[in-house]
Amino acid sequence: MASVKIVLPGDIIDTRREEEDTAQQEPNVEDEATVIRLGPGLVQSSESVSAVTAGVLHSNSETNRWWVAGNKRRYVAAVGEPVVGVVVARHGEGYRVDIGSAHDALLPQLAFEGATKRNKPNLAVGTVVYGRVVVANSVMDPEIECFNSNTGKSEGYGELSEGFMFKCSLGLARRLIDTKAPVLAALGNGVPFEVAVGVNGRVWVNAESVATTILVANAIRNSEYLDAKQCRQMVKELLEKQ
Amino acid sequence: MSRPDRREASQLRALNCSLGQLNRADGSAQFSAGNTSVVSGIYGPVEAKVYEEKLDRAVVEVKFRPDIGAPTTKDKWMESAIRNTFEREILAHLHPRTLVQIVVQLREGDGSVDSAAINATSLALVDAGIPLKCMVTAATCAVLSDDTTVVDPTQEEIDAARSTHTFAFASGSPTGPLYVDSRGEFTMDEYNHCYDLCALATERVLAFMRTAIEGKVTKEAKISAA
Repeated sequence: MASVKIVLPGDIIDTRREEEDTAQQEPNVEDEATVIRLGPGLVQSSESVSAVTAGVLHSNSETNRWWVAGNKRRYVAAVGEPVVGVVVARHGEGYRVDIGSAHDALLPQLAFEGATKRNKPNLAVGTVVYGRVVVANSVMDPEIECFNSNTGKSEGYGELSEGFMFKCSLGLARRLIDTKAPVLAALGNGVPFEVAVGVNGRVWVNAESVATTILVANAIRNSEYLDAKQCRQMVKELLEKQ
Repeated sequence: MSRPDRREASQLRALNCSLGQLNRADGSAQFSAGNTSVVSGIYGPVEAKVYEEKLDRAVVEVKFRPDIGAPTTKDKWMESAIRNTFEREILAHLHPRTLVQIVVQLREGDGSVDSAAINATSLALVDAGIPLKCMVTAATCAVLSDDTTVVDPTQEEIDAARSTHTFAFASGSPTGPLYVDSRGEFTMDEYNHCYDLCALATERVLAFMRTAIEGKVTKEAKISAA
C-alpha cells in the first residue's frame, strides 16, 4: 500500500505537484489551463486549497480531482446516492422520508415504477423505502425517487417490506456498497439473504427466517473494524453456531 | 519553587484522549490532562427548530454540564466561551438551516477546565466530520504569588495564583488568539509572557491531537483498503 496522506482541518494541500507533472509531459499546456476539481472535505481559500475535515487525502491524476475520505455518522445528502429511509408523514402529493440527514427528504407519489395518477403505491407511515437522491443542495430539502426517471424502471428501488433495518457508520455503508465487500460475500456463501445498503448509514436485510436475518445483521455490524480475513472467520463462527 | 506535582514550569500534565466513545452521538471525544477530564459530544448537522434556524448558516449551540449539580452562571459563561471560539471556525455556511449541538460534560475538574473543554470540543468536531477552517487548541497559564509562571495549572495552583490566563489558537494561522480569558491582577509583561507560553503549549497539544486523529483515520483506512 502506498503511503497514505492523512489531513486535518486547516492543512494546506499542495495540488501543484500534479500540475508540474502534467506540465512536464506536455510543455504546451499552461498552468492556468489545469483545472483542479475539489471533492468532499476540501475548500479553496483565496490562492490555496485547504482541508476542512479529517481523513485520507485522495487524488486522481487523470481528472485532477482531489477529495478527502473520512468516516462520519451523520449523513449529508448528495445527488445519485442510494439511501434507505423511513416514511414519517404523508402529504397530498408525496411522502416525507427520514433519511438521516438534517432535513427529511421528499418522495413524490409518482416517483415509483409504473405509478400513475390513478394507480400509485400507498405507503403507510413507518414503511422502509429504498430510493435514490435526485435533489440535494444545502438550501433545499432533499428529494428522492424510487425508480430511474429516465427509464421508468425500478432498478431495485422501492418499498422494502418485511426484513430488518439497522444503522451503521457511513464508512461501513460505503464499503458494503462495493459488491466485493468481504462480509457480504462470506455471508452469501453460507445463507441466502437480501440486502439493501443506503450510503446514509442504514442497511436493510431480509432472509427466510428471523434467526437468519438477525445473524446477517449482526455479522454486518460486527464487520466495522475487521479486515477481509477476520470477516470470513467471524462469519464462519456465526454460521457454525446457528 | 517546585510545583506540587513536581512538573517543570512549562510542562503540561499527561495528555490523554479517545475519539468516538459515545455511540449515539455523531461525534465525540474525551480529552484529559492529568486529573482534569472532559467529554464532548457533537450532534449535527441536524434540523434546527424553526425559531432558531438561520437561513444562511448553521446554528451552533453549546451545552456545558458540570461534574456535580445543575449548570450555574459560571457554566453559562463557559458555554458562551466555547460557542464564541468555535462559531467562526466552523464552516457554518455549508449547512444552512441546521443545528450543530455541542454538549460538553465535565468529568473531573482539576484546573485548566476551559482549555480542556475547548480541546475536547475541537477533537469531537473533527470526529463528527463537521467542516472546520482549522484545528483549535487551547492552553492555560497561571502567574503564581512568587511571580513564576506555570503552564497547565492544577486547581491547587489556580487557587494560589495571582492571575490565570487561557488562550485558544487556530492551527496554522498567525492572526492572534481566538479566545482569551484572563482573571486576576497582572502586568502587561506577565500577560505577554503567558501568551508566549500558551502559544508554545498549544503547539504541543496540536501535535498530540494530530497523532490521535491520524491513529483513528489510519485504522479505518487500512480496513477499507484491504
